[in-house]
Amino acid sequence: MKKMYSLLTTGLIASSLLLSACGSDSTDDSGSSSAEGDKITLEVYQGKVEIKDQFEEMIKSYEQENPNVEIKFTAVGGGTDYLGSLKTKFSSGDEPEIFSVAGPSEAEQFTDYLADLSDTESAKLALDGTLAAVTEGDQVLGLPYNQEGYGYIYNKAIFKDAGIDPSTIKTYDDLKSVVETLDSKKEELGIEAVFALAAKEKWVIGNHLANVYLAPEFNNNVLEAYDAKTVTFEKGDELQQMLDLQVKYSIQPTLNVDYSQQVEQYFSLGQVAMIQQGNWVFPSIEQMDPELAQNIGVLPIPVEGNEGSIPVGVPNYWAVNKNKDEEVVQAAKDFLDWMNTSEVGKDTVVTKFNFIPAYEGYDASKIADPLSKDIYEYSTNGNTIGWVFAGYPSNAWGDILGANMQKYIAGEMTWEDVINDSIQKWEEPRN
Amino acid sequence: MKNRDLAFWLFLTPVILALGIVVIIPLVLGTFYSFTDWNGLTITKFIGFENYRTLLKDTDFLNSIWFTTKFSFVTVLLLNFFGLGLAILVTQKLKSSNFLRTIFFMPNLIGGLILGFIWQFIFVNVFGNIGQVLGIPSLQGWLSTTTTGFWGLVILTCWQMAGYIMIIYIAYLQNIPNELNEAADIDGANSFQRFRHITFPLVAPAFTVSMFLTLSMSFKIYDQNLSLTNGGPFDSTQMVAMEIVRTAYTENQLAYGQAKAVIFFVIIAIIALTQVYYNKKREVDM
Repeated sequence: MKKMYSLLTTGLIASSLLLSACGSDSTDDSGSSSAEGDKITLEVYQGKVEIKDQFEEMIKSYEQENPNVEIKFTAVGGGTDYLGSLKTKFSSGDEPEIFSVAGPSEAEQFTDYLADLSDTESAKLALDGTLAAVTEGDQVLGLPYNQEGYGYIYNKAIFKDAGIDPSTIKTYDDLKSVVETLDSKKEELGIEAVFALAAKEKWVIGNHLANVYLAPEFNNNVLEAYDAKTVTFEKGDELQQMLDLQVKYSIQPTLNVDYSQQVEQYFSLGQVAMIQQGNWVFPSIEQMDPELAQNIGVLPIPVEGNEGSIPVGVPNYWAVNKNKDEEVVQAAKDFLDWMNTSEVGKDTVVTKFNFIPAYEGYDASKIADPLSKDIYEYSTNGNTIGWVFAGYPSNAWGDILGANMQKYIAGEMTWEDVINDSIQKWEEPRN
Repeated sequence: MKNRDLAFWLFLTPVILALGIVVIIPLVLGTFYSFTDWNGLTITKFIGFENYRTLLKDTDFLNSIWFTTKFSFVTVLLLNFFGLGLAILVTQKLKSSNFLRTIFFMPNLIGGLILGFIWQFIFVNVFGNIGQVLGIPSLQGWLSTTTTGFWGLVILTCWQMAGYIMIIYIAYLQNIPNELNEAADIDGANSFQRFRHITFPLVAPAFTVSMFLTLSMSFKIYDQNLSLTNGGPFDSTQMVAMEIVRTAYTENQLAYGQAKAVIFFVIIAIIALTQVYYNKKREVDM
């Protein structure tokens, strides 16, 4: 057995030599701590591909200011599975210095690697509540990338044509009457339906819509949801009512509508008045119709007792690998601080990444798109609902709830069963 | 042992290495991981058959196996039917037979993911609009129910693979000596009798090959499934491969997903081996 093992190893080494010989033109890929002299190499490994060019641009100016630091940036995402590739990287020993985690459950998986960032400038400047998901005791294990928010994105022109003032919509009943008005004027407004509900996407209903009605029972706190042994669906009736409303007045069949149809086809072409989505749809809409993109806004999803609030959360956190030399960890923290506090860094984050900043000290007027502006306003005024779905159980509970809601839409499950089954699936992994 | 010298091993090494790295080692490691609580990063303990016990009660997994079995049964039948039919068609003395062969084979050259998206558009938009114009409700809302999702997948797979299976049948059909057909013709056999008693037995080896291919292929389908229905509605059109990927990467239970993959491997191995064994026996009988 031992002999076979050593044979295998020899074979593997031989083949890897062969392979590496083929790629010998690539530069030194040790990637770890201070390589030659005082030069510190930081590898940033993260999952947002859309900011790659802008990030590399920003790195250049940092390297100019700090000649002893070299930063390598890798973006994995889009079609590829970021978390899987990050794990592969860690288990192969080629650990990055800076990487990203999305909320408490990922943070827990990487708990052996996360450095405490509570002494950074960024942690002090982070907006209230944005650190909640990654705080453990007095340790801060991640720094927010940005904020994102969602609600009903509406077409201002259609609302105006129908004579509706969106600021009057506060409660569910307000919304319902507006929807009915829009529906009755479908012909003259030239729309096919009021909503386009992307019920084919489980996250749209299971994560986002449900979150609005689940957040109150966890006091809007993602960690409370993360630790909760059970879920009670206190506001389950309101969730059902809102789902019914969207389904009834949506493009049919809702189970066929996916994210890109919802955003690019139905909304961007002006075929519907409202969609339940977030500020991340802005670039797609702008690509389809730049004029329309400047003429949209976001409405809160009404919850009884907490009307006029938008679910705002942090999708990703920067994390620093603590299994590196102290100076490397410090250099990584310095870089993150620079990104969140220096003029160049802040400018890049807002104008190039198009992020909604999660820190104090940003100039809100620089935010270019109307959705982000709206959401930043809600956020700074404190009119927010927490994103508790990052604290759902790790069995992809949002997908389970989403699938159950799809069954309800298809008439194959009663609402009662949706609730009961989802509660049971929440409790299974937590007890 | 004369031929087992250095050169023998030298020529064999690349193959063994390739096979070892991408098949044997992952299989062994994977089987090992399925007995642990591996999360992709660390193993904290060895849990024996725990994962396997859980999966026997996992309705999602069992449903996906059942769905895949139904799907495979239908596609294997249809694929071989269409494959043989097309092969017979293009081996007739038609002027356009070369052109037709190319056309029939072409869908096979397009990647499964892209095909999935193209057919999604056809099923949802084209079918939907035709249905609306002609007032046929059964053409509307395709892929939004389990049944239409199922048939959508079947149609897509048949459309893509029939040409490939056709090529296999053509090879065997062209090997049938013309004398046999001529002799039978002179004896007064009609075309159906000739097909039934000459062509059919002589293409039996092709059945073995193509049934093995179609069966294992339709069991392992993933990309078409992902792009056409993505398991929807409510995971009811989710096939085994997709269910395993979802368990491992979305639900983040890598060891458990690995256990499912081992069971999946065993199922495919059993089906394929049995099927090859019986088909081989039939060939000998005839």
